[in-house]
Amino acid sequence: MIPAYYEFANTAKVLSGDRAIENIPYELRNLRCSRALVITNSQLRGLGLVDVVLSALADGAIEVGALYDDVPVDSSVTVVNEVARAFGDNRCDSIVAVGGGSVLDTAKGARIVLSTGAADLMDLRGSDRLVGRFMTPFVAVPTTAGTGSEVTGAAVIKDTERHVKMAFASLDLVPDVAVLDPRMTMGLPPRLTGSTGMDALTHAVEAFSCRQANPLSDAYARAAIDLVRVYLPMAVLEGRDMRARLAMANAALLAGVSFSNSMVGIVHAMGHACGGVAGVPHGDAMAVLLPHGMAFNLDCAGERYGELLLHLAGAEAYAATPASERPAAAVTAVRELLSWLHENAGQPVTLSECGVTAGQLPDIAKAAIDDGSIVFNTRDADVHDILRILEGAM
Amino acid sequence: MQRDVRVGPGALRGAKQLLSTVVFWVLGRGLVTCARLDSRVRSEVTSWPDGTTVTLAIAPRGPRTTVRKRGGALEALGGADPGPSTLLVTFKNVDAAVPVLIGLKSVTGAFVEHRATLAGDVALGLSLVRCLHVVEGYLFPDIMNRRILPRPAMREAGHLRAYVGLLRRSASLSEKGAAS
Repeated sequence: MIPAYYEFANTAKVLSGDRAIENIPYELRNLRCSRALVITNSQLRGLGLVDVVLSALADGAIEVGALYDDVPVDSSVTVVNEVARAFGDNRCDSIVAVGGGSVLDTAKGARIVLSTGAADLMDLRGSDRLVGRFMTPFVAVPTTAGTGSEVTGAAVIKDTERHVKMAFASLDLVPDVAVLDPRMTMGLPPRLTGSTGMDALTHAVEAFSCRQANPLSDAYARAAIDLVRVYLPMAVLEGRDMRARLAMANAALLAGVSFSNSMVGIVHAMGHACGGVAGVPHGDAMAVLLPHGMAFNLDCAGERYGELLLHLAGAEAYAATPASERPAAAVTAVRELLSWLHENAGQPVTLSECGVTAGQLPDIAKAAIDDGSIVFNTRDADVHDILRILEGAM
Repeated sequence: MQRDVRVGPGALRGAKQLLSTVVFWVLGRGLVTCARLDSRVRSEVTSWPDGTTVTLAIAPRGPRTTVRKRGGALEALGGADPGPSTLLVTFKNVDAAVPVLIGLKSVTGAFVEHRATLAGDVALGLSLVRCLHVVEGYLFPDIMNRRILPRPAMREAGHLRAYVGLLRRSASLSEKGAAS
């Protein structure tokens, strides 16, 4: 499929594999940096993951101007401003962020403040607002394999005083360097491995089937799904398997590049809303809602899902399935993976299991219709359609 | 080597700018008219805080149109500089805008293809898109709407009433302008 017009960029240099972290100082020197601000959270620090990065920086003669380890579960504008202040007060010249989505989003927010001098982040909400600015050098070290935030140009920051979630989208937010080191994800418990893996899978499936899918984003999405199919079960069952962990880190990155360019759709719109209204963790929402979103899209995206069966179920299953049955079989393959994760890692399979109540569904549907992802979904959906999908997922 | 090369704008550029100015003029007044005529636009605009200023523009220095909610009602400010906008949608160039403005491409299609940037709250942007879909349903014939709208156009009033409302608003705005 070739769209009439598309844009694609992937500007992050990727370091993937054994002892990748030890190469961060070399990359920082290439970026003309010598004094880093390290951003993380206290839990990761307690697990010793940050120490791996700190000692690599020390060995590579990169000074750590400051270590900010108070990033909360949800990135907030207060924390972003604190981080930006810490950067200036300690004369840092670069950011090294070690963590999951909230840490990386906080680093992206701080980078916006530092690069624009913005007094109020609210003024920079929107898409493609930061083009052409010098961005503070930024190395991202993800500690989960799901968000793909290490290569995406999106960030969500909460303004806790004004009770607003601010969305930023710009390819200038993409980190300079993304570091995939299997040591960072080996300690993830099976449950979290499963839900973050389903997040990556959802990125890839939606990126492949949404309205701005293009040949380049397709290639990344296909590769991501292949890795998830083979390695997610291995990473869940044997968390110490370095190869499986590295493969899943790559799957998340590939899916991240894909959706950062072609965007996501209705599953993310509903998932963000479930998070905002009912506090459902993002990965759980993605896992539960993906098959339901795909079933809704079958009429418009069936042909694309049919192509994905090859990657979701493997070559033999693809070849054995008549072409007309492939779209539905792709949805079934996702349902089977979810069931497998339920049995082997306790992954919730319904919104009720995630704590959502029937009374919350109208608010979730209303919030979903105002989520930016809905624009990119291949099939138009109104609030009634979304309500029906949500009810089906209860 | 030739230095300091200057190439004038293409012959069609002026025509495209003029066309964009006219359609922006219609769109701005169309939004205001539909906010009175159509319950769906009225409901969207009701959710906007008073003082909300929405601008559609074409970069660089192209035509623009602004609507502002004041005293609970929407008013068209035309192409005047509105100051800071709550929501600013900017087409990257006139060639990106024209297919949308003449009904060959949907508004969402322009966003999907990164032909336009959005400054402000994304949720407000989506509300605006839903309003524009309704307005397009009135302004364009169904043969065009089938191509650009996500669903068949539903009208709560006829094309004619919408156009009359649009022209009346324009006349009253002109009178206000002349009086002031």
